[in-house]
Amino acid sequence: MRGLFSNGMRPRALALAMILAVWFVAAFGRLVHFQILNHGRLKAEVLEQSQNDMEVLPKRGTIYDRNGKILARSLPAQSVFFSPLKSESASAQMEQVVRLKDLLGLSENELSRIRTRLQKRDPFIWIKRKIDPEAAGRIMDLNIKGIFLQEENKRSYPLETLAAHVLGGVGIDDNGLAGVELQYDRLLEGEKGRRLILRDARRRSYQIETLKEAVPGKDLFLTIDETIQYIAESELEKAIAVCGADWGTVVIADPKTGEVLAIANRPVYDPNNYPPAVPGEGVNRAIQHTFEPGSTFKIVTAAAAMELGQVGLGETYDCREGSISVGGTLVRDHKRMGILSFPEVFIESSNVGAIKIAQEIGERNLYQMIKTFHFGERTGIDLPGEEFGICRPLSSWRKSSLRIAIGYEISVTAVQVLRVMNVFATRGRLVRPSVSLDVEVRGISGAENQELPKVLSERTASELAEIFKRAVEEGTGLPARLEGFDIAGKTGTAQKFDEEIGRYSSAKHLASFVGFVPADDPVISMIVVLDEPKGLMQYGGQVAAPVFRDISARVLRYLRAAPKPKAETLVTAKMAKASRP
Amino acid sequence: MVNRKYDPKEIALGAAFLLFLLVIVTFYILYQSEAIQLGYRIAGLEDRVTRMKEEIKKLETKKAGLLSLRRVEGIAREGLGLTDPKPGQVLYEGVDLPREKKRP
Repeated sequence: MRGLFSNGMRPRALALAMILAVWFVAAFGRLVHFQILNHGRLKAEVLEQSQNDMEVLPKRGTIYDRNGKILARSLPAQSVFFSPLKSESASAQMEQVVRLKDLLGLSENELSRIRTRLQKRDPFIWIKRKIDPEAAGRIMDLNIKGIFLQEENKRSYPLETLAAHVLGGVGIDDNGLAGVELQYDRLLEGEKGRRLILRDARRRSYQIETLKEAVPGKDLFLTIDETIQYIAESELEKAIAVCGADWGTVVIADPKTGEVLAIANRPVYDPNNYPPAVPGEGVNRAIQHTFEPGSTFKIVTAAAAMELGQVGLGETYDCREGSISVGGTLVRDHKRMGILSFPEVFIESSNVGAIKIAQEIGERNLYQMIKTFHFGERTGIDLPGEEFGICRPLSSWRKSSLRIAIGYEISVTAVQVLRVMNVFATRGRLVRPSVSLDVEVRGISGAENQELPKVLSERTASELAEIFKRAVEEGTGLPARLEGFDIAGKTGTAQKFDEEIGRYSSAKHLASFVGFVPADDPVISMIVVLDEPKGLMQYGGQVAAPVFRDISARVLRYLRAAPKPKAETLVTAKMAKASRP
Repeated sequence: MVNRKYDPKEIALGAAFLLFLLVIVTFYILYQSEAIQLGYRIAGLEDRVTRMKEEIKKLETKKAGLLSLRRVEGIAREGLGLTDPKPGQVLYEGVDLPREKKRP
C-alpha cells in the first residue's frame, strides 16, 4: 500500500493542501470581514430584521360622567408613514406618495410638506395620522413600497359636542390641550412602555418580550351628569334660538357639595376635531369670560347689609324718585317704585334702593363682603384657564364705585356668582366647585365642603334665601316660578359698555338669573347667562328666568324630586235660604 | 495494515448509541419546532385577544354614541311622535299627591 505522502501522491496532496489553505484563508478573511470589520453594521441589520424594539403607547384613561357613561375614550387608529428606499430618487419617492393623495385626501400643503422632507432625505415621514380603518385596509391592499401603517390611539368623544368645554380636547399626540384633558393630563396619559418582538426570516413574530410594561392612564370620573348636561344644553340652545343672544352659559351644581352637574355653553365645538375652527367656540364662558353682572350682584349687597351693616328687614327706602346720582352717574330703576322695605328692594330689584342701602352700610362693609366671597380670585374649580375677574381694591374706588352694589364696576365669572348663591343655599358655606368626582384627584371631598367654616351666619343666609324666594314668587323672578317647587333666585340685567360710543349702551344687555331649588332643601343651584338678547325682551327676568324654570322642571323630574302637594283648597258655601222676594 | 474485526456486540452498541443520539436530536428538533409553532400561535392569539378587547371598547363607545340623548330624543320626538308628559301624568312613588276629586 502506498502512503499518502509517497512520491506519486505528493504533488497532488500538496495541491489539495494549498487549495484547502486558500479556502481556509478566504473563509477566515470573510469571517474577519463579517465578524470584526463590519460587525456593528451587520449585527444591526440582523437585529433590525429579526427584532423590533417597539415603543408601546399607553392607553389614555377614559373619562366617564358620574354615572359611568363614556364621555371620552382612546381607540386604536392607524397612521400612515413613508420610509423611503435610499436608492430611489426624491421624485420617484414622491410618485409613491401621490398615489395616496385621493385615498387620504391629502391637501397641496400636506404634499408640499412631504416633498420638502423627501428632498432632505428624511428616513421617516408621516403621511397622515389616525386615519379610519377602511382607508387603512385599502392602503395595505395597494402594497406600495415604503408605505407602512403604525398603530396609534385616537381620542374619541362619542357624545360629540356634549360637555365639550368641560372635556376640552387633545392634540395629535393625545396630549391634553384644554378642559379636564389638560387639567388631568398627567393622570390620564399613563407611561410609555417598550417591547421586543422577535421575528423569523419571513418577518413573522414568534416571541414578544416586554422590556417595560406600559402603564395605562387612570380613568377619570366627572361630577357631570350626562342627562343634566344634555337638558342644560338643549334648553340653552332653544333659548338662544328664541332670543338671538350672542352667547350663553348655564352652570348647574349641587350646592351642598360644590359638585358641578353641568356646564353648558353656546357657541360650542366638537372635541373630536380639536382645536375648534372658530376661536371663540373654545371659550368656556362659565369660567373664562368675565362680565359686569348687574342685579344678580345685589345678593352680595343684601348679605353685606344684613351681616355687616346690621340692616333690619323692617327698614324702608324711598325709591319714588326713580333715580339716584352716584358720583355723578345717574342710576335709574327699571320702573317707578314707591317706598320699599329692605326685602322689597331685592324682590323688585330696585337699583335706587340697593344704592341707598350701600350708602347706608358704607363702602367698607360692602368691600369686606365682596372679599369674603372671594371676588377677584379664582374659585379653584378644577378646570384650566379660570379667570380671576376684576375687583378693584377699596383704595382705588371712585365715587361712582358704589355702583358695585348693583353689579357695575366689577367683573365676575358665572361660576363665581353661582358659588355665592350656593352660600345662601347651604346656609352660610362657601363651597369650592369641582368637576372631578375623585376626591383624591380634586383635593377636597363633598363632605369636607359641607364642613367648611361659614362665611355668613345661618340666620342671615336663611332670611336672604327667603327674600330670594319671594323674588321668584312675587318679584322680578316671577317667570322662573315652577308649579310644585319653591325657587329662590335673583334676576340680573346689566347694560353693556359700548366701546364705540364710549358709554353704557341702552340696547345691549347681559341677562342672567341665579338661584336654587327647592328653596328649603336645595337639590340643585343654577346660573343662566345670556349675552345681548335681541328683540323686545332683554331683561334677565324675561329671558334667563324662563330658561332656569324649564331646566329645573326637567332636571327635578329626572332626579325624581317630587313637587310639593298642592294645598287642599276647601271651598265652603252656605246654603242660601231661598227667600226671593 | 491489518483490518480490525469488530465484535457484533460492539457494532450493535454503537448503532444503538447512534440511534439514541438520533432520537434525542430528533426529539430536540421537534421540541424546538413545536415550541416555535406554539410561539406563533400564542403570539397570534394574544394579538387576537388584544384586538377583540379593542373591538369591545370600540363597540362600547359606538353604543354610547348611539344612545346619546340628543339622538334618542330626536327619534322619540320626530320618529315616534312622543311628547313631554303633562304635569298630571307623572307619578311619584311614595308621594301622596292630591287627586282630583270625582264629582258625585
